[in-house]
Amino acid sequence: MRVAERMKHDAGTPARAAGAPSAAPAVVRPRKRRGVNREGLEAGRRSTRTLLWVLLAAAMVLYGFPFLYLLFTSFKTPIDTIAVPPTILPREWTLENYTNALGRSGVLASFINSVQTAIISTVLSLALAVPAAYGITRYKTLSGRIFIMAALVTRMVPPVAIGIPLASMMGTLGLSDTPIALSIAHTTISLPLSIWLMSSFFEAVPQDLEEAATVDGCSRLGALWRVVIPVVSGGIAVTAIFAFLASWNEFLFALLMTAIRSQTTPVVIANFQTQFGLDWGSMTALAAVYSIPVILLTLLLQRKIVAGMTLGAVKG
Amino acid sequence: MRISDRRFALFLMAPAALFLAIFVAFPLFRLVADSFYKISPIAGGPRDFVGLDNYVRAFASEAFTGAGWRTLAYTLVVVTLEFALGLGMALLFTMLGKSSQIWRTVFMYPLMIAPIVAGLLWKFLMIDNFGLIGTLLHQAGILSDPNQIGWLSDPNIVLFSVAIPDIWLTTSFMCLVLFAGLQNIPGDLIEAARLDGARAPDLLFRIILPLLRPVIAVALVVRGIDAARAFDTILIQTNGGPQSASETMSLLIYRTMIRFGDPGLASAMGTIYLLAMLAVAFFAVATIWRPGKDN
Repeated sequence: MRVAERMKHDAGTPARAAGAPSAAPAVVRPRKRRGVNREGLEAGRRSTRTLLWVLLAAAMVLYGFPFLYLLFTSFKTPIDTIAVPPTILPREWTLENYTNALGRSGVLASFINSVQTAIISTVLSLALAVPAAYGITRYKTLSGRIFIMAALVTRMVPPVAIGIPLASMMGTLGLSDTPIALSIAHTTISLPLSIWLMSSFFEAVPQDLEEAATVDGCSRLGALWRVVIPVVSGGIAVTAIFAFLASWNEFLFALLMTAIRSQTTPVVIANFQTQFGLDWGSMTALAAVYSIPVILLTLLLQRKIVAGMTLGAVKG
Repeated sequence: MRISDRRFALFLMAPAALFLAIFVAFPLFRLVADSFYKISPIAGGPRDFVGLDNYVRAFASEAFTGAGWRTLAYTLVVVTLEFALGLGMALLFTMLGKSSQIWRTVFMYPLMIAPIVAGLLWKFLMIDNFGLIGTLLHQAGILSDPNQIGWLSDPNIVLFSVAIPDIWLTTSFMCLVLFAGLQNIPGDLIEAARLDGARAPDLLFRIILPLLRPVIAVALVVRGIDAARAFDTILIQTNGGPQSASETMSLLIYRTMIRFGDPGLASAMGTIYLLAMLAVAFFAVATIWRPGKDN
């Protein structure tokens, strides 16, 4: 797999282990072409480039606008949010929607639930996926191949099909309406993805590494823990981000498996619609508060996230 | 004591396999088992074996066949548009080269937004009366009345309107994957074709797309599966309405289970849905993807 190969020379430096695709491709090759410093598909002519930049600007405005409008709306007065005709910018900037939304009972608790659920689910996913992926990639047994295909099949299971039986199972286990139950449900989504991601990261680690360690008297488990894990720590971070996001943004399981005690914020946002009529102002404010931390996280960790995203798909 | 490598590999995989067996395979087994029973929605209520009766009822119901076609149409619309837009953006970023890198990052932001939030946001943009899209089109002189298009209230177009947030959310994913694929196309190849006088459409259809085929296949399969399971965005926008015009399979199963309290029928629908997904996915994998066989 090309991506995995590209990862290889990065594997030694965990910080770069998840280098964005842009960082890796064959840009090293000497450049040529009619005096212009571009190659391949990159456009050279000034007029073409100007046109492309205009296109990009238009696309970015169209693509970015919906979320900006959500932000603007969240700063409007509650009456202005449903004014006819609507305005783009608030006539009067106010934090009223934010105080309304966050002051409502259950909202802050739902944030705590979301964080709790996402963290438990991330830890669980990693604890299960890291050894499994290592077993699959390092020993290449038949059972490993069957297992990774089975994990692929689990990805196709529609959550709505297993949500109800899963909820009743949790009831039998005495876990209904707890963050633990919900994080287990979320792990059924993130575990297959985590196994694939970790498999591609392990594939980039040279086998000599553990062989040297075992020769030095390390057990296989010890070699995994002390030698291999530190090398793939960048990959583990990527996988953790994905597992966290999968749980943070999940809605259907949360709807089916939580009542009041363990409700996460996506369910609370959806409930604004029915319980309190159409309170658009508070809804947009809460949606903004819920989305902004993860958007900032993306911008901060973008290289890692890009690597994980393309690996997950290209690797399959 | 030293166990064999094969055993050690099993030992490493066992916890994850056990987890998936208990929390995915077992509920699936329950789902299939339930599909043969008539189940009272009240906990502890009667449970009668009815054989294939639920399946007969499912196929006989217009709601079920309708939801099946709608799910198919929805998936095709979402995946096609996403692919076209994603490829366009990936080509744009590639042609601009390194200097566009920061914008590539910004372009990714919808991927981090919860589908429920995206659905809500687009509902707010498209809703009758105070929706911004109708108003802007009206002010631009395209529509005579801001409510001329009932994005979410006209049964004829609602299925396409509810697809918009899904497309908006995941075009970035398509773009990222295709962009990564484009980076792997050797520059020399493009150069050589250009020297031979190939024009842009030839470059795209004769060289770039054939070379991207494996990447495209993976992206389409992954996104197709996700689109066929769409739930959050549709639920929050229309709840399947008006007149069930946007009710896809996930929504129908959910409503049959929760609202109409018929777990047996819902389980039969879920089983058929799952089998159909598996069949399509295996077909896709077998014909275009071929995992394990590197290009």
